[in-house]
Amino acid sequence: MTPSRRHFALALPSALLAAGCAAPHRGTGRPGDPIVLTLLSHYASGTLHQALKGPVDEWNATHDRVKVRTKAVEFTDLLTTFMVRQAAGQGADILHPYCLWNGQLVRAGVLRPAPPEHAERIRRDYGAAAVGAVTVDGTVYGYPTEAQTYALYYNRRLLREAGIAGPPATWPELEDAAYRTTRRDRYGNPLVQGFGLSANDDATTVGQTLALLHAAGGRFVTPDGRSTAIDAPAGRAVLALEHRLVTRGASAPAVNVYQAFPSGRVAMVVGAGWWTGSLRPLMGGDYRDVGVAPVPVPAPGARPATLATGFMLGVNTASRHPREAWEFLRWLNADRVTARNGTAATRMSMLQVSAGSLTARADDMRALLGTGADPNLRPFLDALDYAVPEPNGPGAARAKTLLRKNIEALWTGRSSVEEALRTTRRQVDQEVSRPW
Amino acid sequence: MRRRFPWLSYLVVVAGALLTVVPFLDMVMTSFKGPGEAGTLPYRFLPKAFALSNYRAAIEQLDLPTLFRNSVVVTTVITVSVLLTSSLAGYALARLRFPGRDLVFRLVLSTMMFPPFLFLIPRFLILVHWPLAGGNDLLGRGGAGLTVSIVALAVPFLVNGFGIFLTRQFMLSLPDEVLEAARIDGAGEFTVWWRIVVPQTKPVLVTLGLLTFVDAWNEYIWALLVSTANPDLMTLPVGVQLLRDHVDPARTMPVVMAGLVLSVLPVLVLFLLLQKHYIRGVMLSGLK
Amino acid sequence: MVNVLTPRSPERAPDPLPGAPAGHGRRRGRHRETVVAYLFLAPALLFFAVFLLLPLGFALLLSVSRWTGFDLGAIEPVGPDNFAALLADGSTFLVPVLTNTLLFALGTVALALTGSVVVATCVDRLRFQGLWRTLYFLPIVTTVVAVGNVWKYMYEPGGLANGVLNALGLGSVAFLQDPDTALPSVVVVQAWASLGSAILVLTAGLKSIPASYHEAAALDGAGPGTVFRRITLPLLRPSLLFVCVTQFLTGLQSFALITVMTRGGPGDATNVAALEMYRLAFDHGDWGTASAAAFVLFAVVLVVTLAQLRVFRRAGEDA
Repeated sequence: MTPSRRHFALALPSALLAAGCAAPHRGTGRPGDPIVLTLLSHYASGTLHQALKGPVDEWNATHDRVKVRTKAVEFTDLLTTFMVRQAAGQGADILHPYCLWNGQLVRAGVLRPAPPEHAERIRRDYGAAAVGAVTVDGTVYGYPTEAQTYALYYNRRLLREAGIAGPPATWPELEDAAYRTTRRDRYGNPLVQGFGLSANDDATTVGQTLALLHAAGGRFVTPDGRSTAIDAPAGRAVLALEHRLVTRGASAPAVNVYQAFPSGRVAMVVGAGWWTGSLRPLMGGDYRDVGVAPVPVPAPGARPATLATGFMLGVNTASRHPREAWEFLRWLNADRVTARNGTAATRMSMLQVSAGSLTARADDMRALLGTGADPNLRPFLDALDYAVPEPNGPGAARAKTLLRKNIEALWTGRSSVEEALRTTRRQVDQEVSRPW
Repeated sequence: MRRRFPWLSYLVVVAGALLTVVPFLDMVMTSFKGPGEAGTLPYRFLPKAFALSNYRAAIEQLDLPTLFRNSVVVTTVITVSVLLTSSLAGYALARLRFPGRDLVFRLVLSTMMFPPFLFLIPRFLILVHWPLAGGNDLLGRGGAGLTVSIVALAVPFLVNGFGIFLTRQFMLSLPDEVLEAARIDGAGEFTVWWRIVVPQTKPVLVTLGLLTFVDAWNEYIWALLVSTANPDLMTLPVGVQLLRDHVDPARTMPVVMAGLVLSVLPVLVLFLLLQKHYIRGVMLSGLK
Repeated sequence: MVNVLTPRSPERAPDPLPGAPAGHGRRRGRHRETVVAYLFLAPALLFFAVFLLLPLGFALLLSVSRWTGFDLGAIEPVGPDNFAALLADGSTFLVPVLTNTLLFALGTVALALTGSVVVATCVDRLRFQGLWRTLYFLPIVTTVVAVGNVWKYMYEPGGLANGVLNALGLGSVAFLQDPDTALPSVVVVQAWASLGSAILVLTAGLKSIPASYHEAAALDGAGPGTVFRRITLPLLRPSLLFVCVTQFLTGLQSFALITVMTRGGPGDATNVAALEMYRLAFDHGDWGTASAAAFVLFAVVLVVTLAQLRVFRRAGEDA
């Protein structure tokens, strides 16, 4: 009998279970040591990662008591990461959610209402669409950051080769241009799509459809958020348009638009403003072929409208240092600094513009984009005035997923326009009307 | 039937084997393709030049030492734990007489009936609310529970009903004389188990260990969940999946393939070396 | 928890003295054996209590509760509401999620069973059986992340599968992007990955059939087809049942492969019940509905398994 071995055998499980008793890393908590705030966003790579690093480094260099540490995951994993880390008691102090999720995050008790002075400032400084997106049931939950509006990207060269002078302004022009620019090889593989439809994820699939829906004067969810309004004439018209484009071969949703457009295999696509920032480095010299125009409207003379989506920076209810967190957010989003060329703007506005994106502070944007900026950003900036925010109730994320599934069913010929509208209504109504 | 050369059978088996192996070859070939070579039309099987750049990129982008360490630690802990608990419990169920034995055995059998997905949510929440761990209070509130520790990755797999069953069946067939002789010499049950039963059951333990090792190394869903909560606990399969670029998957495919080759290699080598034992394990699982 | 595991060591208990009264000694021996047995079983039993029974009870509680937050105190029992929501008109859980799950499992079983029967009977006649077994086994020891990504890439427009189609002069297929082909495409991968173990089990089953049966049948003038139908298949029934039941079980609950390959898309085309449960819980924090979904799937698993056992038993009685 060797006691050591016996102890090993029986002690192993105990040791395993006891091993996890260290507290999670949240700074030492000793007086005099700095408070560490964590910030979780999807600025995981590329220009936005670099852009966020700038001001955070500046804050850390100039503040001794409060330090900020950034963490990042891919956008597709962001919501799951918020929820799972919150469930695991490891939620970050500062969160950067997509505004669509705000209702769900508020319902789950993740987001902390903005203190009155911050809420007031937010209501005063930002456009109506942005304020609406960060507000849930009348309460403001954070500073709007990245603002995205949707517009029509087009490839000048492909339009010109098809004998089309400029970007379409109406749906009939759009369809005509789409059919004329489409080309396929002898196997039927698409060489050039006239109008790209992205089946990449909820954000892009639904985004382009809602942009067209808003341009047609329609809405996805009724103002009270309790049912869907997609099966009105505007919704029917949008789905019918997309359906025609697919069945006549001008759109091939199976092809990843985000690869095909930069390589000159898509003539037109409705997309958000952030894309300019990644297209430019990706396409190099070919980027001069890219143009941007407002989302076409159903008939000449109709009022322009499009979709606005966005992110915000808010503070976790579980954060132990909410005051410091809000203080950092004010410094980042509200304090104005002067850039090298003499224009004054917030650090967030400068950060977004440097990454080819926008904030919903129109004054900042006009100042920063005044000279020398990518002219393709203009249409997105102009759209801030007339764009409509997407709904953000507790069921909004699920509703968007449901809409996406029905749109894709339509694109792939699994359902007709009428069926898609009917099932969307049934499914979305069942989802958004659940008593939470 | 035996006399003719079974050419049709050869045809079927070779075709099937090709179908099985070609995806692996495609993985290896793609991992050597240079930029712009993968995902373009027309498809080419062989890379133009065997470029090592993808491996360099995978190693650069991944924290391979951490991923490897996590995978190795978790896999080892699970394997050791499953072997110990299975052998202990299997011995008790096979060779000791005590009230409640049939009930316990039936319980062990019934644990195999419950599919793992049923436990995904509650096990996660139980780990999170583990009392006095990760900053939790006595009621399991206020902290991160066991999710702060690598234990979290291993916990659901530490005991395996099938492992207990397998070792029990094997131990039933041990000759009585050896055990009795040891007992008459005054050895305690623990000594009998450790000195006699464990060595005698080595074949089944090797097999069970190998099955457990491979499953633990390849486990994905639980590791994904736990490392979403705590990225320090990422294992190789979860980490490699992160190499995938969602905006432009084709561009990063060769790098992903390089990462996959690196993550698959250890188990593949182990399997090729010890496949006899592994295959016997799968056959034994047919006894269930 | 830790205290329970600290052993009251059996060896420290005084050993029965030699020459003590026999009856007393045996009783004490019995008692001692019971203590030892439960000590040996303690780790396993403790694990089952904490990580099997407790979670099972917790999941049951959640399935009849409304809970969308993270505070354990806020769990609010509401009765069968969650199940009602899953089965409500407009819910996607029954159609297409649960139907997809069944189709996925059924397709996998059909493919893997047919393939493994064919290959196993062929391998049985060949030399180098070890080599073939090793090759067919490779997918089983490979992580699902590798299998999923490799096949996902092969299905791409510029991937191997379309490369072969184009070389044969056929048009490209958007395997994973077209909802009509997405589910079958994933089914093929799942079947491909599980073929090895099915072949192995069936080979073992074939080996256990005495050669004399086949010889006797051949002497009676039965052709190979008849021998296969009349003798091989019936005697292979236990192995077939095993393959069938386990593949069905795996198929009904697996979603790792789908997570890697399609994330349930396009639309809901490859969404299955376990994935939907994962999403409801960890994307949307709707723990109640997610738990209810888990139990509905569990019920399906039970029903399907029992039905198979019954069908095979009946087939056995008829034979």
